[in-house]
Amino acid sequence: MATQIVMDRTGDTRHTFDIHDRAEVEKAERRFRDLTGAGFTAAVRSGPGEQRVIRSFDPTAEETLFYPRLVGG
Amino acid sequence: MTAVTQQIVLAVCSFALALFGTLLLSALSLVVARSGSCSRSFRYEIEARALTLLKGWLSPKQRACYERFRYFDVTGSDTGTRYRIHHGTQTNIEELNGTGHHVCKWCFVPDGDLVAGDVMLAQKIALETNERGALGVAHRSFVSSGPRRF
Repeated sequence: MATQIVMDRTGDTRHTFDIHDRAEVEKAERRFRDLTGAGFTAAVRSGPGEQRVIRSFDPTAEETLFYPRLVGG
Repeated sequence: MTAVTQQIVLAVCSFALALFGTLLLSALSLVVARSGSCSRSFRYEIEARALTLLKGWLSPKQRACYERFRYFDVTGSDTGTRYRIHHGTQTNIEELNGTGHHVCKWCFVPDGDLVAGDVMLAQKIALETNERGALGVAHRSFVSSGPRRF
């Protein structure tokens, strides 16, 4: 199972999907495109305390984090 | 109906009305108090969940530092500059120079009303992967309480 974590007002919303289920993977990929298209940044962990930003959907990523567009505070 | 009877009926009606009003007000106060308490406890739950997420993405060193001092340091991906992210959601990023002195403060946050844990995690990822992009939208502040060494 893989998880997409989307930061929001409730802390975060988690979407899990089975990487072996084609329909679920397609749905997760659509969610990825929708979120990044709306300005969210997607990141995956690449080591302890390390991460990389991804621009395209990675179905093998165990956990993908999405945070909203950054703005000056 | 005599005048006396009319006065008695009027008094009883007034009393009933006053009693009803008092009960209604009490019920409303109770509802408001309960909803306030629920939203506060909901907020705590959200904040706790966001902090758990943050800690899961911090390095062991950053995590230990955060748990002790409520801040952690990150290194900018483009310039190697050291930043200190303090617990908070506004103007909580401090730029440090090579000797650990305060240089300035930066403020950028993910859009939306997010809690501190989420804000700090987004700031960490942004500075460690796209420092220039993050600072490009940030506000810079030189206000400081005085020279500080870290």
